Amino acid sequence: TREVEVAVSRDCATALQPGRVLVASRNFANDATFEIKKCDLHRLEEGPPVTTVLTREDGLKYYRMMQTVRRMELKADQLYKQKIIRGFCHLCDGQEACCVGLEAGINPTDHLITAYRAHGFTFTRGLSVREILAELTGRKGGCAKGKGGSMHMYAKNFYGGNGIVGAQVPLGAGIALACKYNGKDEVCLTLYGDGAANQGQIFEAYNMAALWKLPCIFICENNRYGMGTSVERAAASTDYYKRGDFIPGLRVDGMDILCVREATKFAAAYCRSGKGPILMELQTYRYHGHSMSDPGVSYRTREEIQEVRSKSDPIMLLKDRMVNSNLASVEELKEIDVEVRKEIEDAAQFATADPEPPLEELGYHIYSSDPPFEVRGANQWIKFKSVS
Amino acid sequence: MAFVAAAAGWLLRLRAAGAEGHWRRFHGVGLARGFLHPSATVEDAAQRRQVAHFTFQPDPEPREYGQTQKMNLFQSITSALDNSLAKDPTAVIFGEDVAFGGVFRCTVGLRDKYGKDRVFNTPLCEQGIVGFGIGIAVTGATAIAEIQFADYIFPAFDQIVNEAAKYRYRSGDLFNCGSLTIRSPWGCVGHGALYHSQSPEAFFAHCPGIKVVIPRSPFQAKGLLLSCIEDKNPCIFFEPKILYRAAAEQVPIEPYNIPLSQAEVIQEGSDVTLVAWGTQVHVIREVASMAKEKLGVSCEVIDLRTIIPWDVDTVCKNADPFSLGLYPTGKMKEETNNLY
Repeated sequence: TREVEVAVSRDCATALQPGRVLVASRNFANDATFEIKKCDLHRLEEGPPVTTVLTREDGLKYYRMMQTVRRMELKADQLYKQKIIRGFCHLCDGQEACCVGLEAGINPTDHLITAYRAHGFTFTRGLSVREILAELTGRKGGCAKGKGGSMHMYAKNFYGGNGIVGAQVPLGAGIALACKYNGKDEVCLTLYGDGAANQGQIFEAYNMAALWKLPCIFICENNRYGMGTSVERAAASTDYYKRGDFIPGLRVDGMDILCVREATKFAAAYCRSGKGPILMELQTYRYHGHSMSDPGVSYRTREEIQEVRSKSDPIMLLKDRMVNSNLASVEELKEIDVEVRKEIEDAAQFATADPEPPLEELGYHIYSSDPPFEVRGANQWIKFKSVS
Repeated sequence: MAFVAAAAGWLLRLRAAGAEGHWRRFHGVGLARGFLHPSATVEDAAQRRQVAHFTFQPDPEPREYGQTQKMNLFQSITSALDNSLAKDPTAVIFGEDVAFGGVFRCTVGLRDKYGKDRVFNTPLCEQGIVGFGIGIAVTGATAIAEIQFADYIFPAFDQIVNEAAKYRYRSGDLFNCGSLTIRSPWGCVGHGALYHSQSPEAFFAHCPGIKVVIPRSPFQAKGLLLSCIEDKNPCIFFEPKILYRAAAEQVPIEPYNIPLSQAEVIQEGSDVTLVAWGTQVHVIREVASMAKEKLGVSCEVIDLRTIIPWDVDTVCKNADPFSLGLYPTGKMKEETNNLY
């Protein structure tokens, strides 16, 4: 009996060690098939498939990316409240499935442009958390050298980050024209929100894209509120996927990353085949208010926010799916959480400690000019050089 | 230091222009040119703070308009709008988020008091808001449109310049949209960056047919806004957002008018004329007192109030054409030596 006890206690000791030992000894499935919600269609005979295969590798990647975006946004919240981040800060926690899912459905050579709720997209398009947080704190290690801030972050094939509502949509149509012209089979994802969907220039962009069959995927991130105004109070038609009228559209569950991925693949294939633009409405939700100056509870109830968090949280949905289909274990995902937390902490440390851009750079890049252009400051003796 | 330098710069230019009269005094002052140049401005953090500094200077309590109450800028705007809606049954207020009171609380309580058919929200569409406002005004109703930040006025630029400004002229006075007033928060606030800080009055200052008005204080704001609303020409009323809470003074409860296209001489002076509008008026007042104290210069301070059509007579009255300084507010600084 004593030998058995020793054996049992040794097994327990093994089980109590950190995840790595357990992982090595477990057998995970390589992939699993999931059913996803059918998309509502407008002017389309067929939509994206209703089942999809998720590999373990992809699942872990999406989980890590979504968790990074979530933690990064929460860290930005914390830094803002400590007044280390100033100005305006629009957070996208709750909408992680949109940015990660869209990225999963396109190639890095495709193009993306969005409005001001852009931190998640900046990350998924390839920038590091360090660069993003340093940009938020306005330091020279930031991706826009500390001069852009929250709403103006850019990366390769990611055109920002735009403050004026709706202004980015005609830009996106223009980028799509360039894609078509260059003939490299690239598409442009042009995002806007439910509030922006009522701007006139969006309809101008729809017309141009459809007329010239541009490979533009218009994407309305419908998080139900345009700042503090609910969609019913702002739009005569809240079927945003139909608002393109002559442009085919699909309405997608934006809280389910697999749904978003499949819809994006479908839409990208549609555009790449030369059929012209397509419109996607992602039904999603943001937990924070419009920006850090908005508590977010004067126009919606805490119960509503809580309900979405408990029933439709995108990270929770992916985690449940993976664990239940034996694609990953709870401990493994917890390990990822710990790693992500550390990465964010390090990035926040850097963002807080990095120096601000030097004052001489205030006037840089106003014009592109050789020799540098001289710019006047607040009075005629303060001069800055616009070096470019 | 920057302000003294700014004012002092004028003295140097005046000498160069060879203006007659009072200037002869300064030939002998013997101040080194370097004394007046803020050499360390760029590096010195204290200097940097000063560039954005101002102290709101309230005007003395007005006695001629009846009972007054202490109001800050947004409260004085609410009071003006309240008076307008009470007096004029055709007046309506609309814009983004005005129904709950507005993002700067300028329309608090008005929807409850006057009803949701008179104070209502629009969707997010500036061009639509102004175009729609022109339409209401053309039928004779009083339209008070709000553009949430002056930075967002540009989609409506075409409607303002091409439609509103030219309506009366092109219809031979058959139609007009004179009962349109567009209100918008304006100017830098410290943390607004590119799109919550702009002062776009210069874009409109060259468009005949509209009036552009910028108040410096709550008392001025209420009187000028009421005048804009009652004026028979389309008006744009820019409200310095940094003063919404920072500026408080005694403001009459009853309606009163301050005439448009009339500049106000806030302080008489004999040597230099300083012209400003909006928040910058308070900066210039400090400059004037510093100039008096440190240089013995007597400055005349004028608040332009209406940017277009502007009060040429008051501004030119005491100044000869070569000695005029214009200090536009916010980010832009222009100087001109000649008046047309």
